[in-house]
Amino acid sequence: MVPAVSQASSTSSSTAPAPVLRVRSLTKTFVGGRALDAVSLEIGAGEVHALLGENGSGKSTLIKILAGYHRPDPGGSVEIGGRDLTFGSAHSSYEIGARFVHQDLGLIESESIIDNLAFGPGYPTRWGTIRSKLAAERASRAVQDMDLDIDPRRAVASLSPAQKTGVAVARALLADEGSPVHLLVLDEPTARLPDDEVEHLLGIVRAVSRRGIGVLYVTHRLDEVFQIAGRASVLRDGLKIASEPVAALTRESLLHHLLGSAIESSRRSLATKSRVGEPTLKVANVSSEVLRNVSVEVYPGEIVGIAGITGSGRDALCSTLFGARPRDHGTVTVGHQELAPMRPDLTIAQNVAYVPAERKLHGCFLDLSARENIGIANLKDFWRRPSLSRSAETGIARKWFERFGVRPAEAINQPMSSFSGGNQQKVVFGKWFQRLPALFLLDEPTQGVDVGAKAELHNALFDAAQSGAAILMSSSDVDELVATCDRVIVLRSGRVVDTLEGEQITVHSLTRAALGVDDAADTPLSNETVVAR
Amino acid sequence: MNKPRSFGFERFSGLYLWAFLIIMFSIWVPKLFPTTSTLYSVAAERSIAAILALGVLVPLIGGTFDLAIGATANLVTLSTVLMITHHFNIVVAIVLGILIGTVIGTVNGFIVVKLKVGSFIATLGMASILAATQVIVTNNRQPRIPVNSAWSSFTQTKVFGFQIVVMYMLVIALVLWWALSRTPAGRYLYAIGSSPEAARLSGVRVDFYTWISLISSGTIAGIAGVLYASKSGPGLTYGPSLLLPAFAATFLGSTQFLPGRYNVWGSVLAIFVLATGVKGLQLVTDVVWLDQMFSGVALIAAVAFALGRQRSVEERKRKQLVRADAHP
Repeated sequence: MVPAVSQASSTSSSTAPAPVLRVRSLTKTFVGGRALDAVSLEIGAGEVHALLGENGSGKSTLIKILAGYHRPDPGGSVEIGGRDLTFGSAHSSYEIGARFVHQDLGLIESESIIDNLAFGPGYPTRWGTIRSKLAAERASRAVQDMDLDIDPRRAVASLSPAQKTGVAVARALLADEGSPVHLLVLDEPTARLPDDEVEHLLGIVRAVSRRGIGVLYVTHRLDEVFQIAGRASVLRDGLKIASEPVAALTRESLLHHLLGSAIESSRRSLATKSRVGEPTLKVANVSSEVLRNVSVEVYPGEIVGIAGITGSGRDALCSTLFGARPRDHGTVTVGHQELAPMRPDLTIAQNVAYVPAERKLHGCFLDLSARENIGIANLKDFWRRPSLSRSAETGIARKWFERFGVRPAEAINQPMSSFSGGNQQKVVFGKWFQRLPALFLLDEPTQGVDVGAKAELHNALFDAAQSGAAILMSSSDVDELVATCDRVIVLRSGRVVDTLEGEQITVHSLTRAALGVDDAADTPLSNETVVAR
Repeated sequence: MNKPRSFGFERFSGLYLWAFLIIMFSIWVPKLFPTTSTLYSVAAERSIAAILALGVLVPLIGGTFDLAIGATANLVTLSTVLMITHHFNIVVAIVLGILIGTVIGTVNGFIVVKLKVGSFIATLGMASILAATQVIVTNNRQPRIPVNSAWSSFTQTKVFGFQIVVMYMLVIALVLWWALSRTPAGRYLYAIGSSPEAARLSGVRVDFYTWISLISSGTIAGIAGVLYASKSGPGLTYGPSLLLPAFAATFLGSTQFLPGRYNVWGSVLAIFVLATGVKGLQLVTDVVWLDQMFSGVALIAAVAFALGRQRSVEERKRKQLVRADAHP
């Protein structure tokens, strides 16, 4: 996989005279150990600086120090826009010009952009009455500054995810005479964005950098680094491993920095599989609100991916087959058993596992323990008439904690909410793996999961396929499909428009198929709309 | 729980409070309070309330409110008394009385599961319907207290000095404890209470178990109603007045033993801690509004306390996560 050529280098200016952010030798020690170890970092005006690191690398500690939440060990210093940060003071962080946009944007969905932009700094008023015209003008200017063309009277709920992020950024950057903005920290802005929205967001980031604001761009997605960043820094175990111009980096070298020891590529061996025997899953002419006549078969040992842009039905297929969403027409057969629509309990009884995309809402029970989360689908494995056996259940939970390396390892009785995203997903996987499913239906199986956990989850799926399970998974992360699938079906407007197999599956071909760009009739489209990711 | 937990204030605060109340009133009214008769009378008086609290508990675990439970118990009480005064066989009267509760629970379940009316509204409406039915059944006259020694000994026989109704309550608590924490049905209910959609996607038949939980609460209310009829006779308004204490006890109970979870022993404990406080104060003063005041204050305090606790736990978890994030 060749990384896209860095096109953002023009916006980077490593030779900028005075850096907007200068971090010198920050160390932060918590009770249990060192989270940051003498980390230094500089970001120039208008520079987009990617910050990478696995969960636990010290990334979030660094951001929290910048935000004035954590106080570092004595000795280091942080300078923003030439002024020193008073550690542990969020006020000081704001005053010297640092702004933060977190994954959770903190917008009020039901209200208009105007109102959302006014909630922080307040409305312009005269005699206590809102001057709505002025408020609207301010809002539309702020939105235009983000290169967004939207009516500020629209409710935030009606915006696309990238536009929402844009509004959040606009709010963060609202002019404040007292403290001009020097640094914008974007914490995984694309973690929840569908693929086709990422480019819009990158456009917003470019608009910010054009204003001379330094951007610290935290991400898990390596491709974005090459698309947007001028320089990239990698943290691992609290140490800064690298800080280099993106032009000097490759995907391989980045991964190496991230993971340390040479990573075994999680790319699946492409030994062409002969499809033997009966398909595990037969889908014939399934239609629903968003799906149109979808047919697909998955054979034992096969991993079949579902690609498509948002709204293509990509994210609806697995849930519809499983019975989480209504199905209007068509048949779904697992083994020789036809599945009833909207009956997850019967589907599960046919040895089917389903991992939904919304892990926190639908995938797990946040206030129940990890042990109970694993147990809920496997009660018969520890039912010893007349009681559920706590020790047998604990044994099962331990087994999956060990197998998938869930951290913290001894926390099986802790509520799910106390685990990080990757570990939660491992617990969810454990719940289903315990059932030895014949068929896995997976939506976004590694969303919001760090690179290391991602590889482990993929390996778990490879093992399952190896032992004969059939896997159908949708993902908005094209890289993931390329790395894992034997075959990928591409959906557009609810229909299967393409099927790619083996060597045909590349990021390029999948993206083109999903967007409906025909190779033959290739018209040069502007960089803004189509970027080979 | 595998990990030894601290015997701190939090999980067992109810026990500490109970001990404190007992010691305080023993010193305050040493002649009247620390006696076996106080013990026996509090236990017997509050057993019915405890059973109703357990009835509220079952659907509450699955996130469903049963606000009709007091009205159900009251209607059952009056129906049973009428059956006894009309010379029904005692066993038949008991079984029929409990069945009335079961039927009401089944109807509640139908309204909630099939008509998709929120449980709060559904059972609130049902409570009103039952109150009206009660007027129809009794012709708005208090039935005579049945004179039947076999009937009253059904609850008032003494066992180790306690009225046997206390034992019934303990048996019900034991059965529910087993069902809720040691059987798949209980697991499913807790899962539904945590996230109905996640439960459905894990193969739990959410509608079925919600319905079952309401049938259980109706049946338990039926049992409470029959026991009350035998123990105290035909009360016209006691049921609704026990609804609030029942909820207060379950909410308060969710802060005990297994913090953050509605649980059987926490609810039972809460009922008796509150009862001890009320009893003590009744011995000190003779105002009549104590019980009601106590229940109201306890309900609000319990929920505020439980929520506050939850917040602090979340805060601590968040900080732990931050720390864990820092050190894998």
